[in-house]
Amino acid sequence: MLIVEDLHVSVGTTQVLKGLNLTVPTGEVHAIMGPNGSGKSTLSYVLAGRPGYIVTSGAVTFDGQDLLALAPEERARSGLFLGFQYPVEIPGVNNVYLLKAALNAARKHRGLQEVDAFEFLGLVREKMKLMQMPETFLSRGVNEGFSGGEKKRNEILQMLVLEPRLAILDETDSGLDIDALKVVAAGVSSLRDANRSFVLVTHYQRLLDHIVPDKVHVLAGGRILRSGDHTLAHELERRGYDWVVSEAA
Amino acid sequence: MTSPLLTRIAAEHAAALTAQSATPQSLAHRRTALQGLLARGLPTPRDENWRYANLRPLEKANFTPGTAAPALSAAQLPAAIDGFTRFVFVDGQFAPQLSAPPGAVGAALVTRLQGELASDEQAFALLNEAFATDGADIQVAATETPVDLEVLFYSASGAAAYPRLNVRLAPNARLRLIERHIGAAAPAQFINSVVRVAIAASAACTHYRLQETGNAATWTDTVRATVARDARYDLHLLQLGALAARSSVDIALAGPAAQTRVDTVALADGQQVHDTMIVVDHQAAHTQTRENFRGIAAGRARIGFNGLVIVRDAAHHADSAQSLKGLIAGTDAEIDLRPQLEIHTDEVRCSHGATTGKLDDAMLFYLLTRGIEPAVAQRLLKWAFITDVVAAIDVPALRVHVQRSLASHMQDAQSLEDLLS
Repeated sequence: MLIVEDLHVSVGTTQVLKGLNLTVPTGEVHAIMGPNGSGKSTLSYVLAGRPGYIVTSGAVTFDGQDLLALAPEERARSGLFLGFQYPVEIPGVNNVYLLKAALNAARKHRGLQEVDAFEFLGLVREKMKLMQMPETFLSRGVNEGFSGGEKKRNEILQMLVLEPRLAILDETDSGLDIDALKVVAAGVSSLRDANRSFVLVTHYQRLLDHIVPDKVHVLAGGRILRSGDHTLAHELERRGYDWVVSEAA
Repeated sequence: MTSPLLTRIAAEHAAALTAQSATPQSLAHRRTALQGLLARGLPTPRDENWRYANLRPLEKANFTPGTAAPALSAAQLPAAIDGFTRFVFVDGQFAPQLSAPPGAVGAALVTRLQGELASDEQAFALLNEAFATDGADIQVAATETPVDLEVLFYSASGAAAYPRLNVRLAPNARLRLIERHIGAAAPAQFINSVVRVAIAASAACTHYRLQETGNAATWTDTVRATVARDARYDLHLLQLGALAARSSVDIALAGPAAQTRVDTVALADGQQVHDTMIVVDHQAAHTQTRENFRGIAAGRARIGFNGLVIVRDAAHHADSAQSLKGLIAGTDAEIDLRPQLEIHTDEVRCSHGATTGKLDDAMLFYLLTRGIEPAVAQRLLKWAFITDVVAAIDVPALRVHVQRSLASHMQDAQSLEDLLS
């Protein structure tokens, strides 16, 4: 599904990713862990196409197409979803409008008809129940005045409605209490299937207790230094990152 | 003071007076107003408070009002707002066939204003006095349920128009007044209105002013409101039309606990220039102002907003908040916001914020990652920028009209239809 080859990315004058390789097969959940400043968020942003993140060399293939050649909105419509570490507040654009516009953009891309209003509301209500979000959220501005936890739930809600092929969740677990973490994990698990892949970017292993990944990668200094199965997350939790870095040196 | 422009105005004035049938005292009054104007002169961009206005179109303007209102059918007017009694003026002259009969409307008495208004030092008000022929006089008595009126000024021809409104609310009166200025796209017109609002104790007036004149028009106005003890004046100002528009609004909070709220939305594109100056004068204790401005300038347009709040000696415990925001949506567009405070006493609470910028990159990127087209995302964010101020219009049918007008000015009817549904 996703193949990242020798990716070099700079932000401003700083080289952040320095030859990153990563393959996420269809149907798998991969976790990317690593210390602060290792390039985790940069990887998320560059995959989603954020302006200012300059690919200096390397390639990214998503579902067989050259991902880097697509504009951010085309990536989204092709089935790539980024769950933001810091979801943006957009007062004045209401949540339900954004959800509907986003869903219809994706459907149009797939050659499907726009969803009718009744069907849409039914779908959204069902997903909101799963995310334990009150319906009043729908009429509010996008993330406007939401707490940190509410914003993260809202990201997952959008993901559930859009049903992407590949979801990149950038530190969706940070700032969540245990209950919210469980709700978010349940949301992700409900979408997990053989046709979909996930990249979970995280600092901590605790999210991975609820969503057991197929693979865990350690990103440090702009490269993947080590990969393993889910037990690697526990080892990192116990021993920290230093040993990975020194073994790789 | 003299200038080629003033000389021309004086000549047009002399010719216009001979063409009109007016009472001797009315003629005398208009000559006095003209003398006042000639002595004072018109403002220039060198005047501090007129820096952002575009006064150049005046050089070519025709100042002579029409003598007969052109025939117009009701179908040429925008739909009336349910429950609001409509009075229509065409080229500054009352159009009875398009209007409700003058007289009593609930607690209000609506008559034609053919006399003079109290003198005013303001140049454009004097110009209006000198030429004006017709207008509406609205007096509202005490009432529990608000009187709902609409006064619509339509500019049909190249003749100048001098709309006038004189509004007086008795103690405990309630009025919701829609004042709309619309017009044909061509030819270029000069429209110069004067509005007086006097609100007695414990009365409340909500005034919706929609400037949607044709986009070749030159539009100026002078609005003066006086708000007595415990009374309130809410003004919603929409600046959409005209090539060059300048609004001058003065609100005096004259009695203790008088309150005002002024919400302005300006949208300018192409070569449009919209300049608004609002002065709120706190003259008494516990008076309150809430002022919001949202402007979006696209193309090569310019928007100016000058919000002066004065707090006098006697106005202890005055409370004022200004929130002025500009969004630049064109590479050659310009927005100038000036919040000003002039405070002569302690024990006041005055806050102001003014920001001008472009669309927020982080918001834009967020929308793109949800599959939204860049052009749609930009329009959505522009819409979001003004929506709180538009939402404050509490007459639903009028709010929808304003939203549609804004949408069509943003050339975005389709996506906004979705938004409204």
